[in-house]
Amino acid sequence: MTPATKPDLRVRIGSLELRNPVLVASGIIGYGREYERLVNLGAIGGIVTKTVTLRPRAGNPPPRVVETAAGMLNSIGIENPGLEGYHAVKVPILRDLPCARIVSVEGEDVAEFCELVRGVDASGVADAIEVNISCPNVGPHGMRYSTDAGNARDVMTAIRPLTRLPLIAKLTPNVTRIAEIAEACADHGADAVSLVNTFVGMAVDSRTRKPILGTVLGGLSGPAIKPLALAKVWEVVQAVDIPVVGMGGIAKPADALEFLLAGCVAVEIGTAMFADPGLPESCVAGIADYVRGMREHSVDAVIGAMIVPEGRGVIRAGKAQRENARATRAASGGSS
Amino acid sequence: MNQVDCTIIENRELTRGNFLLTLRVPRQFSKPQPGQFVHLRLSTDGEPLLRRPYSLEGFFERGRIRAIRIYYSVVGRGSRILSMHPKGRELDLIGPLGVGFQISRKKKTSLLVAGGRGVAPLLFLARRLRERKRPHVFLFGAKSKYELYGYRDVRGGRLHLATDDGSVGYHGSVLDLLQREWEEAGHTPDTAEIFTCGPHGLLHAVADFARDRGVRCEASLEGPMACGVGACRGCPIPLRPEHDGAGYPAMCVEGPVYDATAVDWERLP
Ligand SMILES: Cc1cc2nc3c(=O)[nH]c(=O)nc-3n(C[C@H](O)[C@H](O)[C@H](O)COP(=O)(O)OP(=O)(O)OC[C@H]3O[C@@H](n4cnc5c(N)ncnc54)[C@H](O)[C@@H]3O)c2cc1C
Ligand SMILES: Cc1cc2nc3c(=O)[nH]c(=O)nc-3n(C[C@H](O)[C@H](O)[C@H](O)COP(=O)(O)O)c2cc1C
Ligand code: FES
Repeated sequence: MTPATKPDLRVRIGSLELRNPVLVASGIIGYGREYERLVNLGAIGGIVTKTVTLRPRAGNPPPRVVETAAGMLNSIGIENPGLEGYHAVKVPILRDLPCARIVSVEGEDVAEFCELVRGVDASGVADAIEVNISCPNVGPHGMRYSTDAGNARDVMTAIRPLTRLPLIAKLTPNVTRIAEIAEACADHGADAVSLVNTFVGMAVDSRTRKPILGTVLGGLSGPAIKPLALAKVWEVVQAVDIPVVGMGGIAKPADALEFLLAGCVAVEIGTAMFADPGLPESCVAGIADYVRGMREHSVDAVIGAMIVPEGRGVIRAGKAQRENARATRAASGGSS
Repeated sequence: MNQVDCTIIENRELTRGNFLLTLRVPRQFSKPQPGQFVHLRLSTDGEPLLRRPYSLEGFFERGRIRAIRIYYSVVGRGSRILSMHPKGRELDLIGPLGVGFQISRKKKTSLLVAGGRGVAPLLFLARRLRERKRPHVFLFGAKSKYELYGYRDVRGGRLHLATDDGSVGYHGSVLDLLQREWEEAGHTPDTAEIFTCGPHGLLHAVADFARDRGVRCEASLEGPMACGVGACRGCPIPLRPEHDGAGYPAMCVEGPVYDATAVDWERLP
């Protein structure tokens, strides 16, 4: 291949084909309009919208954001216009976007998730649905469905029959064994999982002796969480066969590549975009360069191409470990 | 609003910890209004991670050269890094952002009430009022004379200074100056309006003053921001229930200038 050839960056998430594996994460770019003068949406794979809830939410009391070391805490509380407002105000905006539109939804219970999935499906502008079962900022229900495999199964089982759109379950990293939750989603109809949502965190102002965020606790994002996010991604990649969409602290093209090499089919760009709105586009360029550098034609050659020494790097019991165990059993069975 | 690269023409310490930053901006930077702000990327190495919002102190055009000015104080990691940037260094900014001050169509006397570094957007406004030949009075209070800067630019309007330590001007609060000005000049809600910027405690007091007298009053607020363009919903300003639509309007798009009597100062951190 000559270096001038454009590598093929297309990837698939269920039935959705993305022109390249770079998305913008939920809560970062609104519904596309807010950043339209700063981001060339035609150059990236797609956006995930701000999460939509059934009823409008005003969000949490201020302050809602604070910068911490190499990251930030947020406690937005999913401020959004609700499903009706989504139909009235956001659908017309999404219709015209020149990239894939993945609509994020969050329900307080299974019935709400069902209503949201039906509503978003009917809106006709969604190319996929990201099922946000991992928000740390909306009270106890926010993470209920992604901190317990049974709950995750209940949501996925209920919403799967309601749409043919790809369903992407967005997971929280605030669990001991994320692979279990990912498996529950995969086994009950998720076309993909995306991770990580933010890590629960807090900050205290020692001068005033008050917590800095209005809600005391918030979610940590940004470069500080990238190694933590990668470890969670790696655990999930080994556990499930469905596509994994990775995010957490991506601040330069090489960071995006780390997630692809670890096995993600796509990445989502979050916090670092606030400083650098051109980041998603430069990640696309960086990935293309990398594919060329490998003298390959397609991004498929990068996905999961991390070189792991035999028997190393397995985090807890995941798919690979189970397969190994099976293979070992089969081998020993065959020799007896 | 645009994302542009600008160049530092001057980054000078006026008084201890207080700087004047002059940036050359390209043509794509549209003409800003007093009260609007820019979102500055202070470094490209991720420290600090987020941009920082700064009000414009002025916009200047000479021939083909366009420049903006910012007054800033060193209060933390970002502003410390900014203070070390040399002349000639490039900075990436997004702006102009937000909604600025609205001068009444009806000819009124503008009372500009500045507290500390809140003076910046009001200096811009004062220049605009002078251009429009609108009567205005500039009231500027700070802790001490070291925090009183920029006011030499105030021409065409009356100027009253106050310091907490009495080192210059009236010994006391700028709020007293406002009270005195109001009474001595015989202003009424029909003949005067107030524009204010400074610490939220001062703005709250000015808002109460305005509410008691039924006078129009706009305040420019501050608070942490992430995106600066209305996407992240990280910069809410609580409004009083009677002004509240569905909760918290984002300061970066609907502000930073608000009808001071609409702000719910009790719920503001
Ligand atoms: C619309 C707007 C206009 C502003 N205009 C000016 C100006 O003209 N001149 C000027 O000096 N400053 C201005 N500020 C405040 C300025 O943005 C902050 O001082 C700056 O972000 C602090 O960054 P830092 O990294 O130095 O401090 P940090 O290390 O981030 O924080 C230091 C301290 O400042 C507080 N702080 C952090 N961010 C903000 C913020 N955005 N607003 C208020 N307090 C904050 C923190 O709570 C902390 O106590 C403005 C803010 C806004 C929102
Ligand atoms: C200000 C802000 C708002 C967010 N809002 C949402 C949201 O509404 N729904 C959601 O699923 N994730 C939300 N997130 C989480 C991000 O989508 C992402 O999972 C997380 O920030 C990690 O990526 P990053 O480190 O690149 O930012 C939000 C993050 C931030 C910083
Ligand atoms: S800073 Fe993001 S909405 Fe205002």
